[in-house]
Amino acid sequence: MKIAVLVKRVPDTTSVFKIADDNASVVTDNLKYVMSPYDEYAMEAAIQLREAGQAEEVIVVSLGDESCKETMRTALAMGADSGLLVKCDGAGPTSRGVAEALAAALKNVGASLILAGKQAVDDDASQVAERIAELLDCPHASVVSRMELVGDTLTVDREIEGGKYTLELPLPAVVSIEKGINTPRYPTLPNIMKAKRKAIEEQDINALGLDAAVLASHITVEAMALPRQERLTNVLEGDNETRVATLVKALREEEKVL
Amino acid sequence: MAETFVSMRNLKFLIYELNNAEALCAYPYFEEHNREIFDLVLDTALKMGTDDLYPRFVEMDREQPTFDAGTISVNPWLREFMAACGEGGWIGANAPFEHGGQQIPDTVMVAFRFIFGAANYSASAYPFLGTGAALLMISFASRELIDTYVPNIFAGKWQGTMALTEPHAGSSLTDLKTTATRTDAGYFNLVGQKIFISCGEHNAVNNIVHLMIARIEDAPAGIKGISLFVVPKLRPCADGTLESNDLICTATFHKLGYKGAPITQLEMGEHGDCRAWLVGEENHGLSYMFQMMNEARVGVGAGATAIATAAYYASLEYTRERAQGRPITAKDPATPQIPIIEHADVKRMLLFQRAITEGSLSLIIYCSNLIDRIHAGPAEDKERLELLLDFLTPIAKTYPSEMGILSVSTGLQCLGGYGYCDEFPLEQLYRDIRIHPIHEGTTGIQGMDLLGRKVTMKNGQALMIYIEEITACIEKAKGVEAIAAEAQQLEEALAQLQQLTMHLGGLAMKGEIDLFLADATLYLEYVGIITMAWQWLWQATVSETALADCDTEGDTNFYMGKRYACHYFFRYELPKLQGLATRLQQSDGLTLSMQAKYFED
Repeated sequence: MKIAVLVKRVPDTTSVFKIADDNASVVTDNLKYVMSPYDEYAMEAAIQLREAGQAEEVIVVSLGDESCKETMRTALAMGADSGLLVKCDGAGPTSRGVAEALAAALKNVGASLILAGKQAVDDDASQVAERIAELLDCPHASVVSRMELVGDTLTVDREIEGGKYTLELPLPAVVSIEKGINTPRYPTLPNIMKAKRKAIEEQDINALGLDAAVLASHITVEAMALPRQERLTNVLEGDNETRVATLVKALREEEKVL
Repeated sequence: MAETFVSMRNLKFLIYELNNAEALCAYPYFEEHNREIFDLVLDTALKMGTDDLYPRFVEMDREQPTFDAGTISVNPWLREFMAACGEGGWIGANAPFEHGGQQIPDTVMVAFRFIFGAANYSASAYPFLGTGAALLMISFASRELIDTYVPNIFAGKWQGTMALTEPHAGSSLTDLKTTATRTDAGYFNLVGQKIFISCGEHNAVNNIVHLMIARIEDAPAGIKGISLFVVPKLRPCADGTLESNDLICTATFHKLGYKGAPITQLEMGEHGDCRAWLVGEENHGLSYMFQMMNEARVGVGAGATAIATAAYYASLEYTRERAQGRPITAKDPATPQIPIIEHADVKRMLLFQRAITEGSLSLIIYCSNLIDRIHAGPAEDKERLELLLDFLTPIAKTYPSEMGILSVSTGLQCLGGYGYCDEFPLEQLYRDIRIHPIHEGTTGIQGMDLLGRKVTMKNGQALMIYIEEITACIEKAKGVEAIAAEAQQLEEALAQLQQLTMHLGGLAMKGEIDLFLADATLYLEYVGIITMAWQWLWQATVSETALADCDTEGDTNFYMGKRYACHYFFRYELPKLQGLATRLQQSDGLTLSMQAKYFED
């Protein structure tokens, strides 16, 4: 079985962001880019399936320009076997455009399982995996926190407010992964060295019969603004004992200072 | 906690733009590498540093290792960390392929260790102490010893250490007493004590392997009678099991800082059954040890720089956010307060830290690059580069350590009262950095090493090479408008250095050795300032060229920051040479004629 893992190159969220003069885009100079953190969980899940003997090959798939290869090398250094870069220079496609391009490329990959992070941390759109499933006519589960493969059936837990769904999906399927499903491994030095020799195939979107301008045309960003920085005020309620317990819990779990 | 503890932008500037690390890949030894690999290595260090080491920085200080009946319990995460470093290949990263390493250049690995050190210096000590011990074995030990110990150290299963100091013999290794007695069984029996051995006992690994110096029973007196041994806590048996080697930890010390890593006292041979295996030849131990020691000294400079760098970024972040006071010319108290980074004196404090930390890091990476070029570069360059590295080692150890303390102190000052409290990392960083002028040879020892040994060796060749390298840098800088004046200043300082050295050398020629070395520490301080000025002039020369072609705001700000830090160093730090020069020229022997009894009351 072959697993394809969709990986997106995104700015590190610890970067200092500035809005460009057009008021509708972000200044990208000097931003540090990383693999979207949710995609790391997807990568790890794929590698674990291969290590358990349930998959033979893990292919990392990304869309963008040449610079995406840097992020793909990280995935290869984590243990992916090969890469496929869907080349798309110029204006960034919308989520719909990305899904259309990736779905077109994935048709030729032959993956039985397509994994992705539950969302990318740059636009938080959470659309691409869902759209790809639709375009490929596959079942899809999102926000998955547990996954078990028996034969051609995948059993997953899907996180919902206050509980979880347990779903069964026949393969081929598309699954988007929630954090906490595993602990993504760090690239090891031997794997970093091996990653250099692993192939990253390139496929231009034009060769897939697609047009970058069209893929970018579904949405127009009119304006961007940085979030207002406000003091977060939280008035604790109840008797003293309850309020102290709530405060300690918040300091420990939310602020992580205890 | 501050969010930033290192700047990858600056690190890559020093590695690639200054030291051209990619050029190393042209040497056959490094031909398997490329920039993509180096970047992935550095990114992994940052990720591990950010996700694992930095979050435990405070915790490892507050919950110190505990000693109980010969065993030291350390933070439980360290076992996981050592395993991750082993599995990741980081402990043996720069070892040769044939010994399980990946031949990563030291230029890159020193940056890797620097990132770990800035995130959590105590944690970073564990894996990389093992690196030094294992590389020493690879250089000088028998194949059997290498095969027994090195793979376990590289895997993070066993801890490697360096064991030199004894209760009565710290700086004076001539006087060490640990004694090895020959047996017919291929090993020696060892009896003695060692103190201040970092990570000399702990429960994050399954065994501890000491690279220990001792005197063989009939060895000549002094340093010519010192041999190097492998002395494990548990010795491997023929059936693969481990048995006690009569080496026990008798105490751990309670330290000012760097508390997450235990420092231990060891006793060998209480029951006459501590076995030690000779490394290399008898009585050559100190020269072997100094191979590791020289790199360890550059490593100490890197560690100090790392801690001072974390302090710089913590204070930078604070000064950007903390609103306090108004511009001196603003009289209206109703106007909003300004972030303290806007005040000139706060900018001075930040520039001081930047000048110290980035200057030091530049020197550390340069020295590591020399190590790589000596190891893998053309044979005809080897002797010259070795002499240069020998000369620079006491400086690379001392300047970042001594000035790093002042730099962290200045960082702490930026936070005012908060800097003195443990809600912010500065007070811990201030304690953590204090070890660096002490371990791996105190500042006093480094001063004597520089003036008494390095300046005079091979008829002053090392000093001449040092001067030639700086002169070449000055010549390039003279053509760059923004730093031409600084180039001129350094040229004058270099002339003064030569004159001072001649003066001091004259004392040695007259046989006044005590007087010659009495202020060696001041001489080291003097040469340290010149070395930093050189590193800043070099950084500024490269920055100014890049600035001319720069088309992004981020890069422009970065290179302008370099220009200001360079100017700061030349205008605030370089003038300190004059005070030192005045004193060094006096040579009146004040400290020699001062009597111990005059210190009474």
